[in-house]
Amino acid sequence: METDILVIGGGPAGMSAAITADRAGARVILVDESFSLGGQLRQQTQHFAPLPGSEEKVRGTALGNDLIKKLEASKVKILKKHIMIGSYRNENIGVTDGEKTFAIQSQKNIIAPGAAEKAKIFPGWTIPGVMTAGAAQILINRERVLPGKNAVMLGSNDYSLEVARQLKACGVTIKAIVEDKEQMISSDMELLHDMKNVPVYLNSTIESATGKEELNKVVVKTPAGLYEMEADLICIANGFDPIIEPFEIMGCNLAYHKELGGWLPEYNVYFQTSNPSCYIAGNAAGITTIGPVLLTGEIAAIGALEELGFMEQEEAEAQRKELWKELAEIEKRENEKTFRARSELIEGFHQKIGMAFPEEFNMVNGGAHNG
Amino acid sequence: MQITEHPVLDKKFNEEVIFYFNNQSLKAKKGQTVAAALMANSIRKLGASRKLNKARGVFCANGRCTSCFVTINGLEHVLSCTTLVEEGMRVSSNESDPDVRGESNGN
Amino acid sequence: MDKSTIVCRCEEINIDEIETAIKNGAETFDDIKRLTRCGMGPCQSKTCFYPVNEIIAEYTGMPLNEVSLPRLRMPLKMVRMSTLAQDSEGSNVVSVFGESVEDGES
Ligand SMILES: Cc1cc2nc3c(=O)[nH]c(=O)nc-3n(C[C@H](O)[C@H](O)[C@H](O)COP(=O)(O)OP(=O)(O)OC[C@H]3O[C@@H](n4cnc5c(N)ncnc54)[C@H](O)[C@@H]3O)c2cc1C
Ligand code: FES
Ligand code: FES
Repeated sequence: METDILVIGGGPAGMSAAITADRAGARVILVDESFSLGGQLRQQTQHFAPLPGSEEKVRGTALGNDLIKKLEASKVKILKKHIMIGSYRNENIGVTDGEKTFAIQSQKNIIAPGAAEKAKIFPGWTIPGVMTAGAAQILINRERVLPGKNAVMLGSNDYSLEVARQLKACGVTIKAIVEDKEQMISSDMELLHDMKNVPVYLNSTIESATGKEELNKVVVKTPAGLYEMEADLICIANGFDPIIEPFEIMGCNLAYHKELGGWLPEYNVYFQTSNPSCYIAGNAAGITTIGPVLLTGEIAAIGALEELGFMEQEEAEAQRKELWKELAEIEKRENEKTFRARSELIEGFHQKIGMAFPEEFNMVNGGAHNG
Repeated sequence: MQITEHPVLDKKFNEEVIFYFNNQSLKAKKGQTVAAALMANSIRKLGASRKLNKARGVFCANGRCTSCFVTINGLEHVLSCTTLVEEGMRVSSNESDPDVRGESNGN
Repeated sequence: MDKSTIVCRCEEINIDEIETAIKNGAETFDDIKRLTRCGMGPCQSKTCFYPVNEIIAEYTGMPLNEVSLPRLRMPLKMVRMSTLAQDSEGSNVVSVFGESVEDGES
């Protein structure tokens, strides 16, 4: 199989990249391992704002469906239930549909595999009923099943409280929030308000999670002693880290940036990695919010389009400038540290390879340092 | 347990399917994964670990952790969280780890 | 935490085994992997990599960014041998996981 641009990942970033590339006239193949498109937006029932070009709040699932519609109306060739499993020596990407393996030859790849949840261990974390917060969210919103009736949330970040709120709305009792730090991580007033009747154990850990074949008892170790509670669900919310395996396979250099989630590929202002055939987009390029996720997809697509001659340099520069401006604006507003870390990563990489900054980036980046 | 009235989302699944878990016949919704179909029937133990023989179930629901392995229509070590349930499917719990280094796999 | 707590779910390797490996000189995930099988299960360390690196960092005092990543091998995700053998282009499927073949470490 052969194409101009191959997109790996049909989440918001990959879809946004594919739609942008298709619009400019490139032949695009989009590969996703799942049986449906949308990535992690498929279970996000919460509202998001701001989005690129809009302050209006949109439900995650609705945003996903909107992108899927646009994608399906485009000429992009969509390969669902196809997994990128490796690369051939000539850098063609190896894909399998579960029955056969084949190569896709592309001029440029945009890799947007998203993020994964970080595990957190405690005695008994392997027992059925202990799962990531994301798994619980997938079960209630995508699959419409209850993972349990009485839940303990491990971690007190925004995501933990958001999932707790959604579980509660489905009728699950939130027995406790357990946090090993001395204060709650989330500072979202609305979420905190929703959880106001839930016992919070700070400076605390899960001492044990037990049950015969399924979880039914949780012991929490607090500074005041051990608390035992009946619970059949523990949700681990320990944050996300970028998925890096596809980039490792493509030989992309990695760097460690705590604020971006940990290890991730290095990339330049065009979202191009150290392997010139591979662009990066979405949460794989640093854990952020949905607005920037969509914008990184567009910026990456424009870089690839320009290199392949589907877009004039001038046009690409003008578009990129606007997109970067918006990315900086939204990301700085929602999470200043993330934008700073992203700028650092990009600057570091440019320095390393001796690549000059284009005018448009100096502007937004300068903004990051000054205020 | 199945959620019949979701607090914010519209009804998604209309069609019912019958499948089997360890020879027991169960109902599920078409469009659900095998892992969810089992959970809808209050089954959360999907298998046992090889070394310590401990119960295992869904952990990531994202096809990454392999904690949800089951056997489907005779094929062992299928990820139940990323496989859709089908009418008449025969699912059984996973009682051993995949033998990735075994001779049967050419190593 | 109880030292018998599992860290690698797939291979059921506990904290004690990992700390023993570190005591015996392991400094990276891959060292631990060679000594204990931790990370060699069907998820190929996607689940245990983070907690293992945390243990290394804590035990050795090394910051997390200096603890190196496990070396990745193809295929990226679990695939059946029959699937790999069914290469439609026939020619060079071995190169999909040629690396491991080449290293001869498996
Ligand atoms: C379980 C979970 C829940 C989350 N919930 C929230 C939330 O509530 N709020 C929030 O702000 N963020 C959440 N996130 C973060 C999430 O990453 C972003 O919300 C957003 O979806 C990122 O978009 P993306 O396009 O970068 O990645 P994703 O949406 O993750 O999309 C990546 C896509 O790539 C595909 N893929 C990955 N590897 C391969 C491969 N090798 N071959 C083929 N396809 C592949 C995946 O199937 C997926 O569809 C969650 C993440 C996870 C893992
Ligand atoms: S639950 Fe993790 S792979 Fe299925
Ligand atoms: S958890 Fe260690 S290899 Fe899967």
